Amino acid sequence: MPSRADWRRWAEWALRLLLVAVLAVALWRSVRASRPGATTVTARASTLSEALQQVTATSRVGALRVEVDGALSPVQRDWLVALRRAGVRVGWHGAPPSLAVAADRAREPVAAVRVRLASDSGGPIVLTDSVGVIDSVRAGGATIEASDIVGTVSARRGAFAAFAPAPARVPRRAVLVLGRAGWESRFVLAALGEAGWQVRARLPVTPGIAVVDASVLPMDTSRYDVVVALDSSASDLAPAIARFVAQGGGVIAAGSALNVGALRALVAARTGDRVPGRILLDGDTLTRGDLPLRPLVAASADAVVLERQPAGPAVAIRRAGRGRVAAVGYDESWRWRMQGGATGEAEHRAWWSRMAGLVAPEREPLTPLTPLDPTLRGDAAPRAALVSALGDASVSSDAGDRPASNRLPLVLLVLAAAALLAETASRRFRGAA
Amino acid sequence: MSDFVFATAQYDSGDWDSAPMLPANVIDSIARYTSIDVAPTGVIVPLASPALFRYPLVSLTGHLPVRFSAAERDNLRAFAERGGLLFVDDHNHDIDGVFHKTATEELARVYGPLREIPNRHPLYRCFFTFDDGPPTTSHELNGWGDNLVHKTLSGAEHEGRLSLIYSSKDYSSEWNYHPDNKRFLSVDNTKFAVNLVVYALTR
Repeated sequence: MPSRADWRRWAEWALRLLLVAVLAVALWRSVRASRPGATTVTARASTLSEALQQVTATSRVGALRVEVDGALSPVQRDWLVALRRAGVRVGWHGAPPSLAVAADRAREPVAAVRVRLASDSGGPIVLTDSVGVIDSVRAGGATIEASDIVGTVSARRGAFAAFAPAPARVPRRAVLVLGRAGWESRFVLAALGEAGWQVRARLPVTPGIAVVDASVLPMDTSRYDVVVALDSSASDLAPAIARFVAQGGGVIAAGSALNVGALRALVAARTGDRVPGRILLDGDTLTRGDLPLRPLVAASADAVVLERQPAGPAVAIRRAGRGRVAAVGYDESWRWRMQGGATGEAEHRAWWSRMAGLVAPEREPLTPLTPLDPTLRGDAAPRAALVSALGDASVSSDAGDRPASNRLPLVLLVLAAAALLAETASRRFRGAA
Repeated sequence: MSDFVFATAQYDSGDWDSAPMLPANVIDSIARYTSIDVAPTGVIVPLASPALFRYPLVSLTGHLPVRFSAAERDNLRAFAERGGLLFVDDHNHDIDGVFHKTATEELARVYGPLREIPNRHPLYRCFFTFDDGPPTTSHELNGWGDNLVHKTLSGAEHEGRLSLIYSSKDYSSEWNYHPDNKRFLSVDNTKFAVNLVVYALTR
């Protein structure tokens, strides 16, 4: 059994080892501190490009702090992420505004670009494209439609900006209208044609005779974007319509076409009993809600109702195969155009074009989406992208200078002194040299 | 689907009701030759009335001078812009007559200058085929009125579609008889009326 003197000697050895370990740590820290990478570089948004090159080109920089007082490009942001992964401590501080912008275009021949904007409270935001100013809006949310947008949409507040490429105009393929000769067929043709769609039609006038555009068939997605079946006269083409939808084409079925047996597997719903429209008095104008309606019934489980009137669902849509099929319960929509007052014609045209756009297939633009001015490229939501890449400002900025790391030399000094003192005192008390 | 209703325009000036049997005859031909759902009787619609917009094809005829009121003019302009088609026929068959002179003047104020409709126009091929353009009427051949055989119709377009068809051929006289009497004709002379309606309903 070890004696008390043995325990004492072992304790002295332990204190000596502790002292050596503390000295080793201090030595390692001093060597590390003397390495060139220990310096910290601070940069603003305007000088960040030079700073990034400097930090990347030399191994002397151990930390990079960015004061975000202006917009950072995605390249700069990704560069910061790469530096962090390479061991450089990267942090940022500042208060960039929460700003997000998105631009999309309906699948219509002459659709306007819809710009959606969201921001926190603050000053007004200026929307521009690659050519010039579009509009300015107050803080909050806004949706703006512009007929012609070129290149990149930017939303600027002060030195900060969010960017979104304007979607290119995609050439649309034709719409085939199938319906009996009548006002509904005639005015659907007119509305779609005036909205810029290339329209073909087959309109039976009597059994065996139809007003038909040249080469209406075959019905496939290389020729057509949308087939509009206005009544049961489309029933003989139901198998071709089903193939067309399976290929990815869009179908709008209305009126008695919804009750064609061969189309039932495709359409979102069938029609119920006809509800008469509103009776108009002199001076009244007609709106879509006033039209006669065959409410949609027996909707399939995956049908999404897009429009509802007091009498019931008026428009529903569903996916079928690779395509989309819309069911329309409105009857005699042509009355909306003719009796809709000063705006009825335009509303009727826009509505039918929008319906066709809803079911039309996505197609790739002929030219790639490249902004005219490449320097305008940026994030659609810059603050969100920055936080996602580098973390929150308060955490990141402090990450390189934590108080705990500053106290380590003092702790090491106290520990070394205490170990040395204890070991010396122990030896002296037992009378050793 | 709503029925097609043949509408006759009633205007403040002139004798708008000079061909009372024409609607019945046209309706008879539509029912006879096509499967278009057609209302068994026509309607009379005042040009200045909002009811005009219920009938996208309207027929107008007369012998006497035509002067549209401001309300009639405004209504007709809106009618054309929304896609309505007005068929006007000179019941005098006389380009020196008062109807032709005043009606064309009034129509030009609403529709702009009237232009000749080419004889290869779809109007002449959309149901029956008329290779030579508008069919000649017996009134032209008999030398009545201006003693001319008019080779073409004239009209105006809106958004690439005819919004006005103007005839100096006197179809109002040609079609103004009881439909039962068609059986006495070797060739039905109302076939062009069918083309007129089919064109309006399909183009």
